[in-house]
Amino acid sequence: MLRYILRRLLWAVPIVLIATFVVYVALRVGTDPVASYKRVNQRASAKKIQQYIEANGLYDGFGGYIKGYFQWLGGFLTGDWPRSIKGSREVWPAVKEAMMNTLRLGITSSVIGITIGLTLGVFVALKPGSLRDSATNTLTFVAISTPPFVSALFLQLFFAVYWTRWFESPLLPTSGVYPPGQQGFDVGLMVKHMILPVTVVVIQIVAVYTRYMRASLLDVLNSEYMRTARAKGISERRVLVRHALRNALIPIVTLVAIDFGAILGGLIITEGVFSYPGLGMYFLKAFENGDFPLMMPWVFFFTILVILFNLIADVSYAVLDPRIRLD
Amino acid sequence: MSTTKRSTKFAALAVGLAMVVAACGDDSEYTTATTAAAVETTAAAAETTAAPAPDTTAAPETTGAPAAEAAMRITVDINPDAVWEDGSPVTVADFECTLNAAINTPGSISTTGYDKIIGISAGESDQQVVIEFSEVYAPYKGLFGSLIKAASVEDCNDISTDFADFNGTSNTEWLMDSWSPSQLVYVPNPNYWGEAPKVERIVMVPFADGDTQNAALLAGEVDFIYPQFYAGISDALADPNVTSKVEFGGDYEGFYFQSDPSRGGPFSDPIFREAFVKSIDRDAVFEQIYIPLSEGKGKLLNCGPIVPGPYCNDAWAEGQFDPEGAAALLEENGWAKNADGFWAKDGGEAPTVRWIINTGNVRRENTQAFLIPLMQAAGFNVVADNCDAACYFQQRLPSLDYDMAMYISTAPPDPSYLVPGFTCAQIPTEANQQQGQNSTGWCNEEASAKLEESDVTVDEAARAALIKDALTLMAADRVMLPLFQFPKAGFWRTDKLAGAVDGQLNNYNAFNNFSEWEDADGDGQIIIGAEQWPECLNPVTECANSSWMVWTTAFPISQGVWETTNEGTYQITNLVAGEPVVEVL
Repeated sequence: MLRYILRRLLWAVPIVLIATFVVYVALRVGTDPVASYKRVNQRASAKKIQQYIEANGLYDGFGGYIKGYFQWLGGFLTGDWPRSIKGSREVWPAVKEAMMNTLRLGITSSVIGITIGLTLGVFVALKPGSLRDSATNTLTFVAISTPPFVSALFLQLFFAVYWTRWFESPLLPTSGVYPPGQQGFDVGLMVKHMILPVTVVVIQIVAVYTRYMRASLLDVLNSEYMRTARAKGISERRVLVRHALRNALIPIVTLVAIDFGAILGGLIITEGVFSYPGLGMYFLKAFENGDFPLMMPWVFFFTILVILFNLIADVSYAVLDPRIRLD
Repeated sequence: MSTTKRSTKFAALAVGLAMVVAACGDDSEYTTATTAAAVETTAAAAETTAAPAPDTTAAPETTGAPAAEAAMRITVDINPDAVWEDGSPVTVADFECTLNAAINTPGSISTTGYDKIIGISAGESDQQVVIEFSEVYAPYKGLFGSLIKAASVEDCNDISTDFADFNGTSNTEWLMDSWSPSQLVYVPNPNYWGEAPKVERIVMVPFADGDTQNAALLAGEVDFIYPQFYAGISDALADPNVTSKVEFGGDYEGFYFQSDPSRGGPFSDPIFREAFVKSIDRDAVFEQIYIPLSEGKGKLLNCGPIVPGPYCNDAWAEGQFDPEGAAALLEENGWAKNADGFWAKDGGEAPTVRWIINTGNVRRENTQAFLIPLMQAAGFNVVADNCDAACYFQQRLPSLDYDMAMYISTAPPDPSYLVPGFTCAQIPTEANQQQGQNSTGWCNEEASAKLEESDVTVDEAARAALIKDALTLMAADRVMLPLFQFPKAGFWRTDKLAGAVDGQLNNYNAFNNFSEWEDADGDGQIIIGAEQWPECLNPVTECANSSWMVWTTAFPISQGVWETTNEGTYQITNLVAGEPVVEVL
């Protein structure tokens, strides 16, 4: 297993390089960092523009792209990050804060949402066509069809605005990571501020994973090897847990791994509605300014994340399905 | 957020308060939740007309020694009690640093006015500042709107890397305690020499989404918001504990017509332009678009690219809508309607009028939907030619790539912005490296001369007369059509906030009198919601090109010689001992 993981990690290196290079080129072509710099700094002198080009390795031509990419990569790995084009700010503190906020929101939502979704999926798959199955199906369709900004506004109105009218103070805050004026770390306040945004994301995740799990488990439950297992006299509980669930989870694991990046990326709307300073808002702002030094670390982070979760998916396969040999 | 085409809302520092054209006004952020921030900021950086022209010539190095050929001199006596947050006195060195930073810092967003200063020196003491100008500069009150503390920066000639994420200097009631992407905290400046604030702490928090900001106010999480006004906002914020005040400030919206003959657009023909403008029923547009928006409080703007006040002569009040006159004028000049019903000259092709707005701005899209059929029925082939805010304000308008445009500008108290916006020399050309800011391309030599003369006329009555004359010429040339003076509104919770909350809502400095506000609920702080958030705090570089940046991070901690008032005038601050002496030499 360890050998497999190491081999996959080694493979991840060229994949990261290729993926980030492709994105690097796409960003260079799509956002034209030099033009963006001139637009943001309209009175920048020619000397200043040249300094920006050299600091960011924004050389022309395919050779220039390769040289620029490796210059950027070298700086990135050694911590010598170029400053943002707007305000000449250090990039790492901004990335770090946004990344922590997004990871906190994304991981919490994913863990809660996937756990509830899978449980619900099992729950309804055991009695297909029953009232609970129909009711859950209907609710999941409603949840999937409800855009996050609608559920967010509804939750804000109910738990903050109307709650204040009824009881003179909000039950849950509408926005932010902490209440205004809060200084320093406070896990209680942080959790309180995460409840509504997490709920919005969880609603979507639960709906999706309930449907996935239900379909996957029904498929497994109707397979021939399940009949064989039962015919061998294995208890129903053991049939369900050892055979059915384990097999039904195999495709779900892939989805979880692939979805995780999508969930983090999809937080943009939720972060916007809840004024939650995460990577979504970070990227929107950076993209709007064409701020190349801010965008590249974002891209790198997501590339690494996707590759990492794919590795986790592959390893999980092996654990769940003994037919898959790691080496 | 407002509209101010490109550049310069100048920050605290550079052009000071008045010459800056704020970028508040684009209300497109209310159209969607997720794109709000992007549109806002883009518009903020771009949608202004009233911006001083960028100085394309090499900025002069300044020295402390006055030059002999001065044409104007201003002597400022600094208040002997005026000190910085560390107790050190405000001196001539801070004025000199402010000047050098504005002039020489790479990326300084404007040097206008400062580039006419040829020397700053100490008078009888280092608390008397003698400023000498190479020529008479009438909008001098817009200079030194806030000061940079010389001791706080390593090199006053380049402060581009200073104040990236904190500004601990202060010569006002407030001291910045912390700043982050999530909040900004001010505490009282213990060394402030004036009246102390009535509250222990001011907290500002960003809201990228207008609906969330409204919800936060209704839920009592913030005490005050200063939102972009839109139709239905009063209903959205209806609550027994929320009150508001609506005033009409410096924001105004209008139609603009691309008149540069060298661009060859349809409006480069003054006859066609006149007929076109005479065919626009402004009253109908106003009733359809602006009466619902202003909840019945607004009225049609007749001043031109300026708001009511000492420089407005209502030059657009008469003779603008005259469809019969328009048709007669065209026919007299060889125009006739073609088979499609559009006006064409001498049997040629009917010109197409490309009307540009920023996509997603509901009000402007509604205006197009209302007016285009009317104009087509009148024989003008008007087509919508829209693009996103960045494309509109940062590319199409500056490059004069449009025939008809619609946007908001913010007029600072001083009308000097008319010179870069509407004089012949400011039309982007090769000669000025395409840096001119006259994006209408309008050139009337007589009007330009009057506007340029107004810039060197210190006598206020004479200056006003010159401006009014130029506006009259502009109205006659039909280069633009004013529509509406936009409301400015503050909403606040009466159970949390008291005092002079509504005292300065119309001020160019916005709500910066919060030292006079009272903490009604006794929680020790006042929380203000901000629709936009500065990405850095440098007062002279690109970050200062945003209303919200200067409102939230510059004005509260830095004052200069003059400040703007709620009535759209200037007054001296308590940084100075008395009215500065201005001498035309």
